[in-house]
Amino acid sequence: MAGRFFRQRSLVEEAAQEVFLKAFTQLGSYEGRGSMEGWLTRIATNTCLNTLRAAKRRTEFTVSDLTEDENNWLDEKLSDVSSELHRSAERQFVAADLADRLLETLSPEDRLTLTLIDGEDASVKEVAEMTGWSESKVKVRAFRARKRVREAMEKLLSRRGAKLQVASGSESAGE
Amino acid sequence: MKEKHVIGILENSQLANLTESELLTVRGHAEDCLPCRRAYEAAQLSTLLIKERVAETIEPSPFFQTRVLAALREQQQNNVPVLSRLWKSAGVLVSSMALTTAALAAFSFLAPGAGTGASQETVAALSPYSAESVVLDQDPSDDQMTDEQVLSTIYADPDEAR
Repeated sequence: MAGRFFRQRSLVEEAAQEVFLKAFTQLGSYEGRGSMEGWLTRIATNTCLNTLRAAKRRTEFTVSDLTEDENNWLDEKLSDVSSELHRSAERQFVAADLADRLLETLSPEDRLTLTLIDGEDASVKEVAEMTGWSESKVKVRAFRARKRVREAMEKLLSRRGAKLQVASGSESAGE
Repeated sequence: MKEKHVIGILENSQLANLTESELLTVRGHAEDCLPCRRAYEAAQLSTLLIKERVAETIEPSPFFQTRVLAALREQQQNNVPVLSRLWKSAGVLVSSMALTTAALAAFSFLAPGAGTGASQETVAALSPYSAESVVLDQDPSDDQMTDEQVLSTIYADPDEAR
């Protein structure tokens, strides 16, 4: 669960440790109504959300932030978006890094919702149970997050396209 | 552009959950409409990225379990009241000190002869050492004459001495 929120091993382990400590101290409050896994997931979700809320998040994701690898990844995907390209570990790492930075533009709650629904194919009901939110709240969050991420990606692609055009224009002028 | 824009369809549900007819509508519209094509591409890329992000798993380090158990122990220790923790760490020392004090008190007040207050003078009188002899490092028996020697010196016959 913590791995959905953080990518750095140290942060994941820190969050997981806190979850175990909380679970241990609050074991008495577990009434056995739901599954133990669900109870633990709820604790993990709340702990990770609190940690993310406390951390300062980036508000905008710009083209200048893109590394060369990330640019290459986008090139490959844009050339044939629908086909499944060769997935090397390195490519996957680049994609995950890019995704993480894209998700950082969202609030922790929206980020969690989108990751669970669009990433892990969880249903609205499952996310509602996991987080303790109402189903309508989950739907609204998913809609908002999807919209924001798509807009951020669109903006990134259009700026990137303009940048590439400028670069190719200056190259042809140089020739 | 007579058709309705399809951005709404892209935002309402995830791409994988779109029906065949919805997908056909989106693709057909995206061919002619630039903003919707861009939105569709962006949505596809975003979904791909999120899937890649979720596919990434982080294995815990081999020391993770040890660290968690140590943190649990520390937390349990912190939950114990301060006085109890102090007693745990210094209990043996404190109780041994208390026992020693009690034993000393018993010897001082209850032992026979104790508490009569043998004065300093009495002790000095009993002792064959005077303060002067101790300071000058003299043996008290060195220069002291016995009573017989004193009497014989006083009453000695002068002629005999000559």
